[in-house]
Amino acid sequence: MGKLHSQAMFFQARAAEKVANPILQRALQKAKPLFVGKRAKGIGALADDRLEFEQLRSACVDIRNRVLSDLDVWLDIFESQAKATGAEVLWAKDGEEICELVIDVARRHGVTKAAKSKSMLSEEAHLNEALAAAGIQPVETDLGEYIVQLAGETPSHIIAPAVHKTLDEIADLFTKTHGRPRQTDIPAMTREAREVLRQHFLSAEMGISRCQFLIAETGSAALVTNEGNGRMVTTLPKVHVVITGIEKVVPTLEDFATLMRLLPRSATGQTISNYVSLLTGTRRPGDTEGPEKTVFILVDNGRAKLLGSAYQEMLRCIRCGACMNHCPVYFSLGGHAYGWVYPGPMGSVLTPLFTGLENALDLPHASTGCNQCGSVCPVRIPLPKLMHQLREDQVTGGMRPWSERFALKAWAWVAGKPALYHWVVRRAARYLKWLADDSGRIRVLGLAPGWTVGRDLPAPAGKTFQELYAARKRD
Amino acid sequence: MSSRDDILKRVRAGVGKDDFARRKAVAEAYMAAHPRGPQPTLSNELATRFQAKAEYLSSTVEQIETMSDAPAAVARHLASLSLGVQAVATPDVAGLAWVAAGLDVSGRVAVDADKVGISGCFCAIAETGTLLLLSGPASPATVSLLPETHIALVPVSRIVATMEDAFALLRAERGSLPRAANFISGPSRTGDIEQTIVLGAHGPCRVHLIMVKG
Ligand code: SF4
Repeated sequence: MGKLHSQAMFFQARAAEKVANPILQRALQKAKPLFVGKRAKGIGALADDRLEFEQLRSACVDIRNRVLSDLDVWLDIFESQAKATGAEVLWAKDGEEICELVIDVARRHGVTKAAKSKSMLSEEAHLNEALAAAGIQPVETDLGEYIVQLAGETPSHIIAPAVHKTLDEIADLFTKTHGRPRQTDIPAMTREAREVLRQHFLSAEMGISRCQFLIAETGSAALVTNEGNGRMVTTLPKVHVVITGIEKVVPTLEDFATLMRLLPRSATGQTISNYVSLLTGTRRPGDTEGPEKTVFILVDNGRAKLLGSAYQEMLRCIRCGACMNHCPVYFSLGGHAYGWVYPGPMGSVLTPLFTGLENALDLPHASTGCNQCGSVCPVRIPLPKLMHQLREDQVTGGMRPWSERFALKAWAWVAGKPALYHWVVRRAARYLKWLADDSGRIRVLGLAPGWTVGRDLPAPAGKTFQELYAARKRD
Repeated sequence: MSSRDDILKRVRAGVGKDDFARRKAVAEAYMAAHPRGPQPTLSNELATRFQAKAEYLSSTVEQIETMSDAPAAVARHLASLSLGVQAVATPDVAGLAWVAAGLDVSGRVAVDADKVGISGCFCAIAETGTLLLLSGPASPATVSLLPETHIALVPVSRIVATMEDAFALLRAERGSLPRAANFISGPSRTGDIEQTIVLGAHGPCRVHLIMVKG
């Protein structure tokens, strides 16, 4: 697990901590109705143009299934089209290789600063740490990612990375970092960040972005943002690196247009995002702007092995975030409780699949069985069914022996009692030992990332998370 | 084995099919047909729909009769917001009679100091109130990106219904994609501080669309 730095093993412990955090709870409670209401409005507006959600959904499912069932062919077509436009296409097996490739490209082009547009794959790879260690300054430019980077944290939501942060916390961060008088007016704070980040856009030699889709027909990257930072990092720096998963291919521009009728609506309720860019190759003859070098890094990191498996449907995911925006568990805990890059229902499926089922034993249990996620997913991924399948795999894999269940029941009992829990937290390293079975499997429980020395936390019992959640709800 | 070969080997194993050449031919035939998904039925005529959607997305919109009225319209707009008389323009519209309208307009790529950027557009999309701008020597992308105010000239004859129609036009007139095809829908925005929407994140804070009827 070392390479993946997953904290997903400690979901249950973190869950109790998050439920007890009033600042986090305030931030989440403010966000939830906004997310749900906006999506409902966006999807509802389809009827104005006589479009039907279910019909569009089926079309999106078909597009994604068409690609996945012949992914070898579509990757081949994408690669040759992208190369024909002058882009370089590289492949990375895992996060470590992503870092190596990016650093190598940076060195070849004398890069000292990289401006980044939100990229979850770069989180999978811990790219910022690797860049910094190689002497290259990474600057996150999506406002939410920037806030999270200043705080030394990781994103807690794939669309709204700083959803867990309150205005006051952000104001403090800006005051500390920007050395300007403290402001709490949101437009003024946005303005301040714009001014600071503009200088980074102009001075970075490399732009790093994700892309929502790879278009096979044209060899293009489709990049969707609202802030315009995606356009900045793909226009101003002399080198542009796109980091994306191998499953992101779609066949044609028309297929892309179909997916775009549901992606922004599902994510933020918008009919379209402010900026949708199709990026094809490099600076053309006569152009006086745009990158001189464009590099695609196509990443596996656990994706290929899902093809042909019981979990292939998960690869249809277009990362809209609707499943977490409608998840009662997510909104009780926030994204950090999930311990790895992807939170919410999609994370509860992806994290065990990408990092290993044995490393994320709690996550498939982070469900109330309400199927809100499944009913909003624009590509109809049966998330509760996949989580159920993962639980069965845990049982058949012998990952949940009785002794461990017993230990975790004991832990859940402690975690469910706030006063005792806090007492335990303060003395964790010393006192939690009594919870361990006689092989001493619990060494240090993961109460916070820094505390988590061991990784031998045993499996939780099937119901404990739900019991904990239900108990909190009754409070 | 290179990572490329290794990954593709795993993908092939997962896909579990061997007739690569036949499957590739099927894929190519699919691409050549570029079938469309469910299409919207727009209730208004295109220009009305475009304007309504663009205004909903916080752009301001006005209509003029012919392209030669554009410099005066831009001058009026800038004066009404006290934005001065200087602007950068994409070379494809830099040849209009700007000086006669009292403006100092230079046709080039934009730089950080530029406060106002004026562009044309390849076409516009009624369904979503969106502009499509294609990068190129005559239409650099920075003009619609770096300045705080973006003013776009939109010939009504270039408004199409959907993104799919825009792609059809692009294939017919250009054949291939430019380095950057940018679909722009209003001023840049963020909701990252407590989900409060603020206009003017990294791109323009104001987008003014001048629809040209003639
Ligand atoms: S699983 Fe579905 S709802 Fe969740 S992020 Fe992916 S596409 Fe969106």
